[in-house]
Order: sequence, then structure tokens, then C-alpha cells
Amino acid sequence: MSSRSRPVVRLLWLAALIAATTTARADGDAARGEQRFADCVACHSTERNVNNVGPSLHGVFERKAGELPDFRYSPAIKRSGISWTPQTLDVFIADPQKMVPANRMPYAGMPDADARADLIAYLLKASK
Amino acid sequence: MATKLKEVDAVIVGLGWTGGILAKELAEAGLKVVALERGAMRSTDKDYAVPNIRDELRYVVRHDLMQNTARDTLTVRNNPTQEALPMRRLGSFLPGEVVGGSAVHWSGHTWRWTDMEFKVRSLYEERYGKSFVPADMTIQDWGITYAELEPYYDKFEYTAAVSGKAGNIRGQIQRGGNPYEAPRARDYPLPPLTPILASEMFTKAAENNGYHPFPRPSANASQAYTNPDGSKFGPCQYCGYCQRFGCEANAKGSPHITVIPIAMRNPNFELRTHSWVTKVLKDSDGKRVTGVTYTNVLNGEEFEQPAGMVLLCAYAINNVHLMLLSGIGQPYDPVAQTGVIGKNYCYQTGAGATLFFENRHFNPFMNAGGSNATIDDFNINWAFDRGPHGFVGGYNMAGGFNTVLPIGYRPVPRGTPQWGKEWKAATAKWYQTAMNIGASGSVMANRYNYYDLDPTYRNAFGQPLMRMTFDYKENEHKMGRHAAAAINAIAKSMNPTRLNEATARTDPWTVVPYQSTHNTGGTIMGTSPRDSAVNKYLQSWDCHNLFVVGANVFPHNASYNPTGPVGALAYWMADAIKTRYVRAPGPLVPA
Repeated sequence: MSSRSRPVVRLLWLAALIAATTTARADGDAARGEQRFADCVACHSTERNVNNVGPSLHGVFERKAGELPDFRYSPAIKRSGISWTPQTLDVFIADPQKMVPANRMPYAGMPDADARADLIAYLLKASK
Repeated sequence: MATKLKEVDAVIVGLGWTGGILAKELAEAGLKVVALERGAMRSTDKDYAVPNIRDELRYVVRHDLMQNTARDTLTVRNNPTQEALPMRRLGSFLPGEVVGGSAVHWSGHTWRWTDMEFKVRSLYEERYGKSFVPADMTIQDWGITYAELEPYYDKFEYTAAVSGKAGNIRGQIQRGGNPYEAPRARDYPLPPLTPILASEMFTKAAENNGYHPFPRPSANASQAYTNPDGSKFGPCQYCGYCQRFGCEANAKGSPHITVIPIAMRNPNFELRTHSWVTKVLKDSDGKRVTGVTYTNVLNGEEFEQPAGMVLLCAYAINNVHLMLLSGIGQPYDPVAQTGVIGKNYCYQTGAGATLFFENRHFNPFMNAGGSNATIDDFNINWAFDRGPHGFVGGYNMAGGFNTVLPIGYRPVPRGTPQWGKEWKAATAKWYQTAMNIGASGSVMANRYNYYDLDPTYRNAFGQPLMRMTFDYKENEHKMGRHAAAAINAIAKSMNPTRLNEATARTDPWTVVPYQSTHNTGGTIMGTSPRDSAVNKYLQSWDCHNLFVVGANVFPHNASYNPTGPVGALAYWMADAIKTRYVRAPGPLVPA
């Protein structure tokens, strides 16, 4: 509640969180990551302009959260100010409600760091 | 004057699980198929997504995904001496009205009904003698076997992403599964859902009492899954909004995310929404059907859709209603005991206890549609001797909860005032501490439980309403007493702080409150046109190009939820049409 009404505090906290987890791994395996993407694919496409329950992930690493003009994002995501990078996505996917409380993605999170590294390796390729 | 449209190979009435399966299968077989759905098109991304879907008022109280009773409803009574009155508001059961039908708002419980149902009369008469089945209990064998249906159960379970634990694979009993289930060729496509505290406690107590608990098989994907058709499921999030809601995470096996979009990509298939079918048309000698008439409910425009084949895939009650309105088959008469259409309407019964444990926190807001543990020791366990108890049928018992909603779920110990300060204090105190143990019981067919057309009341199209005559009989009362005693014994062994004991229901059935959307019978399947409306391929005995699928073909109702056999029968019927009927149209079983 307080974090929703005080975006500055939120951003600081976010920055701290990201700083604390810059250990996001760069050695993920994209082939294994494609299988991890099974958790996402019922709602997300990597094709351009194909929004489903979730927004298209095409070009996700070249934009900020909540930026696609034709997708109805939650206010929480729009306010978040996140630029999607392997590091921020790693933190987000680990526990989406922790990083962006009140976001609308119905997904509890992927706690396993290796799994996330693989997923992100896959997304770096597939989102291009 | 109805506008006559161009003839198609098959017209499907109602686009839920059965209509969706038939649409996909027949369009892929090259048939030109049109589906007429009374409801609107809705999708996960536009309609069932967070946060809009989590609206208890809209979906639970105002029945947003359900049949509009201002347009059509039923009249109901308990027995033929009463005057039936219209059900103005949905209550006891909730037929869906949307693309996807009731399979959008179901919980996903998917069971395999076995030969204990399909051979019900033979089995009980063989074991207990002919006099064990009361004279007015009109149960009969179904004319189909579990072995015939097994591959189709499998197909449905793999399509719908059923999570569960097999109990019997090719005759080998599997630890942790249901030891009483009939042999299956392979395990479920997905492992069981994560148990909740309530189901873990029930499992332990059931084991301590000598029973055989297992996780309830449910079409809630326990992990991400791609079905054999390529449909993608997300993992269930245990959001607590399952029954009566569309799934926000695409994790519930529903036709609107599986068979229907596949059919819609096929140029052989066309869907028309907001289309209310009023009648199935027959040719002059009554041996074939020629199509249907329907009304666009948005503007009142009327159409005739000619078709080579008519497939009734609407809700179970509506299928029977259409048969009666269309004058196909002889209406059932309970006095003369002639006719078949409307015969053997059945429902389900039950009993339940609420257990309160001070200092336990059940987090009731977090569960899947099927995250319960259940026992079948009093259900499909044929070693359970019904003789001393004097009833036919059985009940499945479950511990846990499903879709106990933040506003509507207010467990309090019996004796708590129903409003005011004391109620408020009690609901705050006990909300987190309660769990349920419930039994879902079979209902055997009875001569006086049936459907016919109401002589007085009419729907928005000027047609007679369906009249439902139903009450529980002594057989169900006896089973209810047995179930209540068994539930209370397990509940007491768990030492709850407070216990609202289960009681057998012996009062007359009423349309309130919600009980179960498991209405069966009315156009029952069987081996002869004398005592059934359709043959084992769900083909009308009267008109060979008319097929009727749904729980309306069940000759009686079991303890289990009906969707498993409904889905399996839809695939079974699709196969019969594709491989036999289209090549040589005519009766698939000689009359």
C-alpha cells in the first residue's frame, strides 16, 4: 500500500533489490530454456504484435515494462518503471508479486535460479 | 418467417465440451460443420483475465456465465401430485451459456465411471437377488462397457490436462492412487495437484481409519502442459476462483482453450453465437431429421439451418427439452410406464461436515478446483457390502475445499447467531480454522423422477417450459444416513475443536441453494428402443441422423462428477460418425 502511493520509495527499493541480485546468471542454456518457457506459453507469444492473456514478448529486452500500446497492463506494471534486462527479468520471474506488487500476471514465480538463467537465455534469442 | 440457409453436413447445437470435441473432430474429417451457441464468445484474455474475473458478485451471485432464466427456465415439483412452478432464479444447478458452456465454469473433476455403473442392474441382481432393487427403481444396464470406453477416457484426460495419480495401470495397483478404479492403459497426463493442509489432514485421518485416500483427479494443470492437439496450458496458480469462473491462467481444461480454437481455425467450421435453437426439424415420414430452426437472440431474427446430421450438444436439460419440443421419440409417461423421452431424470445427493480447529490456519483462499483428497471405499469398491444397509449406489467422500470465496464462505460453528455482533466475532474467529469433509452420492433412477413439457408456463419463444419432477427416494435417504455416519466417524477421529456434524438429507429436494450441476438422464442410452432414446453410439433410435450427447444419456447418476464419461462419449461418438456413419448412413445398431 505504501509502496503504491510512494513511487520514489518503490523505485529505490527496486534498485536495491536489483543491485542485490546482479548475480543473474549469464550461462543459461537456451535449449533447456525453451522447455522452461512452457510455463509462460499459455499466455505469452514471442511473435511481434501477438498479445494474448499476457503481452507479446517480442523485443522485450528493448523496452520498459508496460510500454506496448495495444496491451492493457495493470497500473502496477505501468508505474513500475522497470527496463527489462536479463537482470530485472530474473528478479521479476523469481517472484513477480514481490518485485511488482499488484501486477496481474497469474504466476507464482520460478524460484530456481538455474531454471531462470535457462529461460532468460532462451528469451534473449526468441524475443528478437 | 424463418430465413432458410444453405445446407451443411452437420449442425451442432451448443458449443461446450461435447460440441467442441465434435466440431473439431468432424471438421477435421472433412465435414462442413456449423455450431449454434446460445451464449456469447468469451476468451481468457478479454474476459477471464485478472482482475476482472475475480468478481464474486458478477459470477457467483449474478450468474454471469449461466443460463438466463428470463429467457428460458424450468418448472419444478417434487412429485406428480404437485403443481410445478417456474424456477425464476438459478440455484441448485447452473447450466452454462457461453462459448465453452458449463466447461468454462466447472472445477475440472474428471472421473472414469466403470462397469459398476454400466452394468448396475445386472451386478446388483446377481449379488443380492432381484428383490433388492425396489420395483419403482428404473435402473438399467447402459449397453456399453468400460473396456470399450477406456481409450476415449484416456483421450479426454490427455486433451483436458487432468492431474492425478493412477491407482490401477493394466491391473497393477499403484500406491497412492485409487485402488478401486478400473484398469487404465497409462497414468494421467500430469501428476496430482499440490495438496492443501485440509486434504493432507483428511488423507491422514482416512488412512488411520483404514480407508484408501488418493488425490482427486482434476483438469487443473499441475504444471505447464501441451496436450496432444498442441493446446497450451499454464500451471494452476491455486487462485481459489475455479468453480463458476473462467480460468485466468489457462490452467483449467476447458474447450475454449483447446478443441474450439482448433475447430475455428478450420475452414470447414463456422460458429454462430447468440443462436437459440428452438426445434429440430423432421422429414415427412419422421425417419430423419432435416436441420434446426433457431433465433438470433440479439435481434429476434429466425433462421432454418438445413443439415445432413443434427448433433445435440447443449446442456443435459436443454437436449431433452429440444427432443420433447421437436416431437422426436415417445414422451415418457410415469403412470403407464410407456415412452422414453424424459425418463430417468437423476440428480445427486450428499452430506457434509465442517470441522473447526483452533490455531490451525487452512488459508481457504488458496486452492485449486480439485486440490482435495478423496476415498472411494464406499463408492466403486464392490467389496463394500450394501446388503446390510439396503441401498444401491455409493458415495465418494472428500476432504478439503474448492472455491470457498472471500465473501460467501463464512464457516461458523452451529448455534452461532446468523447476524449481528456475535456472528461477526465468530466469522472472524473461525474463517481460517475450518475445513470440510463432504460426500457426493449417487441417485438411482426412479419411475416418478422425470421430465415432460409444462402444461402452463412458456419461455420467451412461446414454447412450453421443461417440467422437472424430482425428489430423493428411500434409497438415497439410506445412503445419506450411511454417508453422514461415515463422515462423522472420520471427523471425530481428527479431534476438531468444534464440529458441525454431517446429517443425512431426508427433506424434499428444492431448487435452492446450489447443490450440483450434475443433472442426468432424459434421453437415456441402451440396447433397445423400448427402454432407451439412443443406442450405444448416442444415435437416436427414431432418426438415424440425429445424435444426442451429454449427461442426458446416462440411465442413472453415479457419485462421480459426470464430465469424464461425457467427454469420453463425445470422442466415442465422433469416432463412430467418422469411421462408420458417414460411409454408410443408417442405424449403427439394428433396432
